[in-house]
Amino acid sequence: MKRYHDIVGDGGSRVLEQVADQRSRITDGLAGVRHLVAVGSGKGGVGKSTLTLHLAGALRARGLRIAILDADFNGPSQARMAGVQGALFVPGSHKVALPRTRNGIGVFSMGSLIPESESLEFESAAQGESHTWRATREFALLGEILGSVEWGALDLLMFDLPPGAERTVQYADFLGPRTSFLLVTIPSEVARGVVARSVAALSKGPNRLLGYVENMSGYFCRDCNAIKPLFVSPDQPPPRLRRSAEASAKAEPFDAVQGRPSGLGIPCLGTVPFDPELARLCDTGIPLAELPETPVGRALEHVAQQLLDTLELTTPASPHGSRELRPGKEPRR
Amino acid sequence: MKFLCVPCDSPMKLQTVGPPERGSLSVVYSCPECGYEMAMLTNPFETQLVQSLGVRIGPDASSRLRAEGASASLTEASAEAGTEGTRAAGTSCPFAAMMPATEVALPDQAGEPIPVRWTSGAEARLANIPEFVRPMARTGIERFARERGTLEVDEKILDAARDFFGM
Repeated sequence: MKRYHDIVGDGGSRVLEQVADQRSRITDGLAGVRHLVAVGSGKGGVGKSTLTLHLAGALRARGLRIAILDADFNGPSQARMAGVQGALFVPGSHKVALPRTRNGIGVFSMGSLIPESESLEFESAAQGESHTWRATREFALLGEILGSVEWGALDLLMFDLPPGAERTVQYADFLGPRTSFLLVTIPSEVARGVVARSVAALSKGPNRLLGYVENMSGYFCRDCNAIKPLFVSPDQPPPRLRRSAEASAKAEPFDAVQGRPSGLGIPCLGTVPFDPELARLCDTGIPLAELPETPVGRALEHVAQQLLDTLELTTPASPHGSRELRPGKEPRR
Repeated sequence: MKFLCVPCDSPMKLQTVGPPERGSLSVVYSCPECGYEMAMLTNPFETQLVQSLGVRIGPDASSRLRAEGASASLTEASAEAGTEGTRAAGTSCPFAAMMPATEVALPDQAGEPIPVRWTSGAEARLANIPEFVRPMARTGIERFARERGTLEVDEKILDAARDFFGM
């Protein structure tokens, strides 16, 4: 009796063929994109979306063609932050044109399609069993977006990932080895521990880990014109309470300041202090580039340059490459 | 999944896919050698697993089951709201019910809405984009056209909108 692999085709359902077609459409659609970078963490609330948008802005200001795909379908935030909540999706000749921000960054976010008062819902033949199929459906939606948007010629497409270490790996599997990962953490042992799990999980696959960014590395007090600590480790001496903004902009990464290793085993591309003004801008969809120079702006500029250097200096992973961890180059400190 | 006619040791071929009924698909296969037919009746759980891949099942369009999710059946709420689904019979959008209510036309002097006409070329371009984007695209483009003093959406209007809003 014949076995499964003795039979060519699937008898006419074409399920596998259609899945392969979808993958080809995605590959073709992204052919003009030079770099694919997923910004993830594993931990929620560390500022992935904010960093993604403002790094994109910093790179756009250098003349690069940048787009963001807000892959957090259940909690999309890029539409509001980028000011494209009311974006118009215009049919192109074969695909849908990518909406752009006023500073020229392409942004696809479900937040442009679904009001914040609504949640993303899929109709299902198996109501009450969404835990069994929802992730598959969301990745099919991601594939449909990737295959049906005019990405065109881009220097960089950034994926703003949802939280969850396991989700980060699922995106790595789905997006394939062309996609590099930038991880975001904050100066908290809890966050660092979760990000370490993401590093461990990603290190088993072929995707490059470019490094990590430590966000909320202190906060910028405009009254004092100084960076003050947000998080203090209980087993560490308190950091200096007062540092000038200029000194902060030139500061070494948080780990060096604290005198302890990150434990993540990947390069630190920089640290970014929290600035309440930045949060206000995000809520109102104003690009950071429109602000006068600030410590957080300078920190983002530094991270953007490190990211660019790392991308340019590392070789994209081959689909048939080894599965060893290939971190980016350690940045100069 | 593949099916084998054991007596003939021959792969069976898909013949028809019945429309979903309470989440169940009826997929009929037959043996090309002996003509024996069998039906695979899926439970809703199995149906949803396949649909979640975003694929269609069936040998021809008439018997295809549209993958749910980005092309799910239109909800009654969205149909009542007069969104895309009411204009494009047979098409659907899972997000239609979530769309904010938008005007479909400006009223004329008698208070009746004046519909915006789409040329066949513009409709064809609209059909190329994902279903879940179409309702918002349609209403937005129509608003864009009205703002430019026209009640017809053609490919020139689409190109102008693309230049204005897109990358």
